[in-house]
Amino acid sequence: MASSSRVVIEGDFMRNAEYTPKSTGQSETDIDKRLGGCLMAVGLGVAAAGFAGRYAFHLWRPLSQVITEAAKKLPSTSFSAYYKGGFEQKMTRREASLILGISTTSSKAKVREAHRSIMVLNHPDKGGSPYLAAKINEAKDLLDSGPRR
Amino acid sequence: MLMVTSMRNTLYVKYDCCVNVNAASQAAAEARGRAGRQSAAASSFTGMTLQEAQQILNISTLTPEEIQKNYEHLFKVNDKTAGGSFYIQSKVVRAKERLDEELSIQQQHQTKPPDQQQET
Repeated sequence: MASSSRVVIEGDFMRNAEYTPKSTGQSETDIDKRLGGCLMAVGLGVAAAGFAGRYAFHLWRPLSQVITEAAKKLPSTSFSAYYKGGFEQKMTRREASLILGISTTSSKAKVREAHRSIMVLNHPDKGGSPYLAAKINEAKDLLDSGPRR
Repeated sequence: MLMVTSMRNTLYVKYDCCVNVNAASQAAAEARGRAGRQSAAASSFTGMTLQEAQQILNISTLTPEEIQKNYEHLFKVNDKTAGGSFYIQSKVVRAKERLDEELSIQQQHQTKPPDQQQET
């Protein structure tokens, strides 16, 4: 084991009467044993961590693919930050602003601009749905008729 | 012998010794009724009716291919990162979910053979 850092001399025994060399010797070797044991454990741990890291590194690429695939699958089922339900029975200003992606207190120019861009994306002639186009128009009309700025 | 069978919301009485004519059509009607009830339940649960879902995705016939095609186009077009409206995209997603639910209800009632035979 690791050698004691302190060498107990006969003389010391006489001087430091409160200590008994035997007991200090024992506790010292105990401490040293424990210390050594701890160091060994730490060393082994570090080595194990190193090996695990190397192993994981080799495995990472296929793992990351699996993780991204799983993440892609999740939104389609359970995880949904999407708004729930259908459109409201009677459109509100809040819903209208959500449809156009603007704030409820946007200026008329902003409303017009947002309406145009969203409409271009959802145009029925380009494969959009007429129902959605009608909703977008309704949203614009509602916001236009609201408090004018 | 008088047999009383209670369905979920209809109660009718069958005389097993007598009229046995429209067993198959009755079973079919029951199945349709059940499918209708399931559909109504799905509508109230999801907060979207079948009709609205069809309108959103612009679907005339309930075929998986048409649903998937329209859904993918509308989902992509309303992508928030491409300047689309997230709210509209959400509705598109919910419409697709509702239509998928409807398709599975229909399949359930197609593959199940009319096993609602009258007990004699």
